[in-house]
Amino acid sequence: MENKLLKENQLNFQSYGVKIGIKAENPVFLEKVQYELKKVFPNGFEKMISGAVEHQFFIKSKNDGTSRFYRNEEIVFEGVPDNSFYEAVESQIRITIAEFAVEKVFIHAGVVGWKNRAIIIPAQSWSGKSTLVAELIKLGALYYSDEYAVLDCQGNVEPFPKWLSLRGISRNSAQRDFSVESLGGTAGTKTIPVGMVLIARYDTAKRIPRKWQPKRLTGGEAMMEILRHTLPIRNNPKFVLKVLNKLVTRAIIVKTVRGEAKEFAEMLLNYFEYQTE
Amino acid sequence: MNNSQRPIARKDGLVIQEMPDEVLVFDMETNKAHCLNETAAFVWKACDGKNSVTEISKLFGNQSGKPVDENLVWLAIDQLNENNLLEEKIQANFNGQSRREVIKKIGLAAVIALPIVSSLVAPTAAFAVACSGTVANCVRPDGQTCDPGTPCTGCGAQGGCVCSGSACVARLAATGVSGDSKGDKK
Repeated sequence: MENKLLKENQLNFQSYGVKIGIKAENPVFLEKVQYELKKVFPNGFEKMISGAVEHQFFIKSKNDGTSRFYRNEEIVFEGVPDNSFYEAVESQIRITIAEFAVEKVFIHAGVVGWKNRAIIIPAQSWSGKSTLVAELIKLGALYYSDEYAVLDCQGNVEPFPKWLSLRGISRNSAQRDFSVESLGGTAGTKTIPVGMVLIARYDTAKRIPRKWQPKRLTGGEAMMEILRHTLPIRNNPKFVLKVLNKLVTRAIIVKTVRGEAKEFAEMLLNYFEYQTE
Repeated sequence: MNNSQRPIARKDGLVIQEMPDEVLVFDMETNKAHCLNETAAFVWKACDGKNSVTEISKLFGNQSGKPVDENLVWLAIDQLNENNLLEEKIQANFNGQSRREVIKKIGLAAVIALPIVSSLVAPTAAFAVACSGTVANCVRPDGQTCDPGTPCTGCGAQGGCVCSGSACVARLAATGVSGDSKGDKK
């Protein structure tokens, strides 16, 4: 993102067709927000060509050294403006873009490419999806995202190659970001069809069976599972259902309980290859 | 039980996605998604205000080539009622039997799948990824509580409670923690 987007303490840009404005009394705040956004939106931002801002954010400094963050004039949170604060600001903006993206469906999921098809792993945060994605990358899968599956109107998946956020690397539960290259992997660059959607719950006690047989879901069951992680469903249900229907009619949708990512990743790729042969 | 009642499927405020053997319905008024299996979908589509319950069971029997117990249709209507998918609610009456008894009775003899309407409340965009709870008791999406003594900026990065180092540094007004600032305007 270039600083030409920054004018008079106001940062205007559009991303995935969503027109965003961020205002701050202190321009340093905007620089920091830009930095956080750049980490998450690797495909960058576009200059707003026309029209008004659709979502306005504001960071207001208070006399006690804390700051307040507003979305469309409603207070969202407040706190000391340190790194966590800016991460939270970035998060709110990211969610807004994911919810209102034009002609795209954002699903909270990890995504890899394998032999020109995508494997989507929808899951909440803290469910180990980034760890599983990292293991799949080590086995040669192309990295698409550890945050969002971005579907186009045909139900195909686009790359969203932000840095991987992995926990458990340091002694505490904090996240650390890694480039896919640092894990020995490569990022996918092309839009590809979805071959499989994996609905997996992590269970530390789960042992690997000799023959892994995940449950195959019907189209309706699959839609219900995916909807749990689909951000624009309330905002644009007609478009979302149309796109998801295309996805579930073409892809294999399986549900399972999984154990450790390292062992599971290999089994998953074998299964995927066997099913799509 | 009045089998001459003519139920009408609700259409207003719904987004309907037809699938090969199921129907997905999204209710924009309640933000609920409903998945109707083949049996429930057939009954729902047959609720046109012209067909009685008896007629619907006959239509279903003709389509499936198997006899259909009227209680099966009532079971579907009962669930459609419950999920607000009919224009007007119709009191299902299983001739003095409980729903459970009817399910058991039909289930044992059925050659047709029991009607199932499964539902979920669509998450808000923030909820899909956020922590919840309070600053002092921040609950991660995996259900675990953040330890205030442990950095867990990951929560913050997902839009919920934000803890960093030994203190929580930011908070969502919507959690109710900030009390005085809830709903505050700039």
